Amino acid sequence: MIDTSIQMGGLAFRTPLLTGSGTFGYGDEYRTLIDYSAFGGIITKSISRLPRPGNQPPRICETQLGGLLNSIGLANPGVEVFIADKAQILPFDATQVFISVVGDAVEEFVSVVEKLEFVPAVSGYELNLSCPNVQKGGLSLGGDKDAVAEITRACRNVTKRFISVKLTPHHALVAPLAEAAAAAGVDALTMTNTLVGMVIDAETRRPKLGNVTGGYSGPPLKPVSLAKVWQAAKAVSLPIWASGGITCGLDCIEFLLAGASGLQLGSVLFADPYAPTRILREMSEWCEKRGVKKLSDLIGQLKT
Amino acid sequence: MSLPIAEIGEVLNLRNISPDVWDMDVHSPRLAPLAQAGQFVHIRISDRFIPFLRRPLSIGPIDKDVIKLIFIVRGEGTRLLAAKSPGDKIDLIGPLGMPFPMPSDDTLAVLVAGGIGIAPLLLLNQSLPKAVDRLFLLGMRSLKNTPVDLKYAALFNLQLATDDGSAGFHGNVVDLCSQMLKGQQARNINIFACGPVPMLAKIKDIGVTLGVPTYLSLEVPMGCGVGACQSCAVECADGSGYNLVCRDGPVFEAKDIILPRV
Repeated sequence: MIDTSIQMGGLAFRTPLLTGSGTFGYGDEYRTLIDYSAFGGIITKSISRLPRPGNQPPRICETQLGGLLNSIGLANPGVEVFIADKAQILPFDATQVFISVVGDAVEEFVSVVEKLEFVPAVSGYELNLSCPNVQKGGLSLGGDKDAVAEITRACRNVTKRFISVKLTPHHALVAPLAEAAAAAGVDALTMTNTLVGMVIDAETRRPKLGNVTGGYSGPPLKPVSLAKVWQAAKAVSLPIWASGGITCGLDCIEFLLAGASGLQLGSVLFADPYAPTRILREMSEWCEKRGVKKLSDLIGQLKT
Repeated sequence: MSLPIAEIGEVLNLRNISPDVWDMDVHSPRLAPLAQAGQFVHIRISDRFIPFLRRPLSIGPIDKDVIKLIFIVRGEGTRLLAAKSPGDKIDLIGPLGMPFPMPSDDTLAVLVAGGIGIAPLLLLNQSLPKAVDRLFLLGMRSLKNTPVDLKYAALFNLQLATDDGSAGFHGNVVDLCSQMLKGQQARNINIFACGPVPMLAKIKDIGVTLGVPTYLSLEVPMGCGVGACQSCAVECADGSGYNLVCRDGPVFEAKDIILPRV
C-alpha cells in the first residue's frame, strides 16, 4: 500500500490530486457520477464579488492533437449567491475545499475572501491572477510582480487560511513572480493557468470562439507546465500545485519529480471524469514496481 | 428528473442509414429506463484523448434496455463512433439535460425534425400520451439523405419534405409545417423541433405568429455535459445572461432564448 498523503501549509491531503479551477464547477455537479475519495482537495470555479455572465459563445473548441481551447470568461454567480446556494453542501466527502477567487482590483479579491471567511468548510483560497479570458484583472494583474505581491498581501491580511496563487505561464521568468508571492505570505503556488491561443475556421473565416482567443489546455500543454513547475520549485521553497496537461499517473509522477506537491486535474475531467481514481491507481502501481513507499518521497527528485 | 449516471454500454447494432448518417443501438440497461425525450448522453470518443471531448447525442427511441442514437459523420469524433463494431463497449454519461415537457391530452403536438434532429423527436413521439394528436414532419435535402429507415414514415405517419422533391413535399420542412398548421389555429397546439439553427429560427417565427408554445432542442459545442464548465452557453432572451445547454436545455422554450449565430 502506497502512502499517498501530502502535508502542505498545515493541511493534510489524503492524496495530491486536486481539481483544476473551472473544470469541476462548484464541486457538486459530478456527485452522482464519480468517487471523490481519490481527491485530496477540490478547487472551485473562480468566484468574483459580483455576478459575471461570461463571454459570448461559442466558448469551447478542440484543437489539433488533443488540445482544448476555452473562453468561459469567469462566468459565476458572485460570492453572495455562491455562499447562499453552495456553502451548505461543502465539503464533499471530507476533501479540502479551496475557493478560486478572482477580481479586477485588490479590493475585490479582499472583499470576496472576507465574505468566504464565514464559510466553515472552506480550507483556503486559490487567487486567480492569470485568467486569459477577461479584459481586466486576470493576466493584466498577474503579469506584474508588484500587483501579485499587493493582492496576495492584502488577502493574507484578512485570512489565516491556506492561500495559493495561480500564476500565468506567459512570463518567461517565473522566479520574480514566484518570489513576490512567497514574500507576501502564500502557502503554495499554482503553476500554471492556460496559454492564450486561437482556432480559426478557414471556411467561414471566423474564429471558432466568440471571444476570438481563449485559454489553451489539455495534454499538449504538459511540457510547458512541467517547465513552469520546475522553475517555480527552484525559485521558492513553497509547495507547488501543478496544473496543465495531466491525463495519467505517469504525468503525475513527472510533475512530482519536477517539484510539484499538488496535482490538478483539469480538462481531463471533461473527457474522463473517472480519471482521479484511475490516476491514483496508476501512480500506486508505478511506485509499487519501483519500491517507492510514499508519493511525497518523489517530490523534487528530478536529477539534472 | 433523475440524476445522471455513468454506464458502460454495449454497441448492439450499427447501421449506415444513408451517406454519413449512422444509427447505433446501445444496450444500456441502467440508463435507458431513466431517459426522457429530449435528454442526451455524453459519449467518450477516444481513450487517447484525440479528439479530446465527449460528444453529446440525443437519445432516440428506446426499446426496453436499448437506446438508439442517430448521428452524422462530421469530423474525427463521429468518424471514430461510426467505426465501432457490435460488441464494443461505449462509455456513456446520462441521461443529461431537461426533457421536452409533456403536453396535455387535448393538444395537437407538432413534431418538426430537420435531418438527424429526428432522434429526440422519435423518443418524444414514443412517449407522448396516446390521446395526444400529432403531426410528425421530417425535412431533408433528398430522400437519399434520410436520417431514418423509412419504415418509420409509414409507422408514424411521418410527413416528409425534401429540398429536391425526391419524396413528399417539395420544399423545406418549415414551409410544410406552415401549410399543415393552416386551419388548425382553433386547436391547442404545441410545437417541438430539433434540427439546424436556421430551421429552428423559422420554427420559432411560426410559433410566435401562431402564439403557441414552441420547444426547441439545441446543439452547441459542449465540454463537461453536467453544468460544471459553462462552455455550452446560450443567451437568455430577457438579457439576464446565459443558460447552459447541458443543464438548462438542450430543450428550451423558443421565447426564452436567443438562438446561436450560425
